Amino acid sequence: MSKKIAVKVDDLTVAYNYKPVLWDIDLEIPEGVLMAIVGPNGAGKSTLIKSILGILNPIAGSVEIFGKTYKKQRHLVAYVPQKGSVDWDFPTTALDVVLMGTYGNLGWIKRPGQKEKKAALEALEKVGMLPFKNRQISQLSGGQQQRIFLARALVQNASIYFMDEPFQGVDATTEIAIINILKELRKAGKTVIVVHHDLQTVPEYFDWVTFLNVKKIATGPVKDIFNDDNLTKTYGINYKVSIQE
Amino acid sequence: MSNAQIEIQLIASLVAVACAIPGTFLVLRKMAMISDAISHSILPGIVIGFFITQDLNSPLLILLAALTGIITVVLVEYIQKTGLVKEDTAIGLVFPILFSIGVIMIAKNANDVHLDVDAVLLGELAFAPFDRLIIGGADVGPKSLWIIGCILIITVGLLMAFFKELKISTFDAGLAASLGFSPSIIHYGLMTVSSVTTVGAFDAVGAILVVALMISPAATAYLLTNNLKRMLIYSIGFGVFSAIAGYWLAHWLDASIAGSITTMLGLLFLAVYLFAPSRGVIAVMYREKQQRTEVSLLTFLLHLKNHTEESERHVNHLNEHINWQKVRSKTVLDLALKNNMIKFDKNIVSLTEKGEEFTSQAIDYIITNQDSKIEHMKDDFFLFRG
Repeated sequence: MSKKIAVKVDDLTVAYNYKPVLWDIDLEIPEGVLMAIVGPNGAGKSTLIKSILGILNPIAGSVEIFGKTYKKQRHLVAYVPQKGSVDWDFPTTALDVVLMGTYGNLGWIKRPGQKEKKAALEALEKVGMLPFKNRQISQLSGGQQQRIFLARALVQNASIYFMDEPFQGVDATTEIAIINILKELRKAGKTVIVVHHDLQTVPEYFDWVTFLNVKKIATGPVKDIFNDDNLTKTYGINYKVSIQE
Repeated sequence: MSNAQIEIQLIASLVAVACAIPGTFLVLRKMAMISDAISHSILPGIVIGFFITQDLNSPLLILLAALTGIITVVLVEYIQKTGLVKEDTAIGLVFPILFSIGVIMIAKNANDVHLDVDAVLLGELAFAPFDRLIIGGADVGPKSLWIIGCILIITVGLLMAFFKELKISTFDAGLAASLGFSPSIIHYGLMTVSSVTTVGAFDAVGAILVVALMISPAATAYLLTNNLKRMLIYSIGFGVFSAIAGYWLAHWLDASIAGSITTMLGLLFLAVYLFAPSRGVIAVMYREKQQRTEVSLLTFLLHLKNHTEESERHVNHLNEHINWQKVRSKTVLDLALKNNMIKFDKNIVSLTEKGEEFTSQAIDYIITNQDSKIEHMKDDFFLFRG
């Protein structure tokens, strides 16, 4: 039985000022997996996501989302950028940030209405942030800000979710809340791709993993390929992670 | 008020509104300096436009000059992209060069025409009513009023249409790009509007004041609100207020109108910077003082909660135990008494029921950081307002 391929990356090469940060990446992500992208700092993890989403222009290669270009499939994809990539002093509220998730389906010029607002409130409820809907975003803790970002992705009601380090700088409670939501998404048949740093939690959180360090080292089910050999190849040092059964 | 006076105030107000709108987004995008660059580097555009059209108010001149503004932005970004210099350095490199090209062109060719550096830099609002727009022999008002009016209508139209796009690309360019709202289209759109506004306004108020009208009202509004729409409205309000108040200040001092408007903008910012209800310097100082007192109060209550032995709770020994000075101890004691959190029993201090409850809740909050439990306490105490 072969699953549908949600994301297909072919010969992708990305460079900053002619210095390649991603080199000839081939990657197939099957539909319905919860996948971690792991690799050292500067391995190109965020760059990979940004290139798939058309935020960066690759110098070579192509990307397909369910067999078509990203531009045609935009409505199927939600994106959670790194929390640190935005200015949290921006004059806006939690609800308003979540509403931004609906902008993609609205297209240019059209404004969000009651329907979008209702969807945004539901997403806030799902991440447990409804009581804070009118809070200015700088008045939220790091974990709360991350939940708002997650809610903004949920409101897009996408098939594929890309998340750039959603566990960075969040407390343990938020981490558990977020991973539970991600697991729920997988249960609903969605594909979730997460840039992840904490190797210890990979076997516990994810069922699929991609090792990346400028080149792709390995990709596949966690139970088959998450081993010392691949970790050593990726991180360059002798890496040992105890995998709890 | 004479007709000319009303016209001057009207022009100044329209310029203020037209500047406040792009200015708000420039401030939020941390691009305030780019408006300074644009305002200077449009000079060669104005000069070339003037040579071609021989008319300072021609739409072609405005477009040509605005184009120089865009070129400035492109050049700055290009230099910055090489990674050899930082953005502020790139700005500092580009605009003086373009500006001086304009200065040389005026000196070489335009000595005998009505165009000089002073007029471009400082403008002269007082003369604006003399340059009339005549259509079919009928006087329909000052030319600058029509120019800035048209620019303002276009700006407001674009703002209404693309408010959502401006907001998302300013807050989160990455998300905007992934959703298909090209941040660079919006960026250059905003740069074009800023350039056109600057050119349209320079004749009336001068290049330097344009910068003040773009940045100052937005910076002032930023201190007062957490809502983008309100920030826009406040910016517009501050701009118009300064324009009119500045006009009368100039009238009273018999000084430059542009200079007086800019001074008003500065004074307004200073006042808000000092007295803004939650972000002003005084409010912040007051809040910090309150927080210090409340942390002391909590320390004191915790001490009472942790020590059952009477010797630790005797009023005469409290100073030594907590190691505070008399004044501070008294403030804290008064605060605790006022809130019915402690009681005296033969000079032995102990917590009341309310004090017990408050202390446990506060500790709970500090340990778990769970906001929802103490929402109601926030009204009474600054400590919990994050």
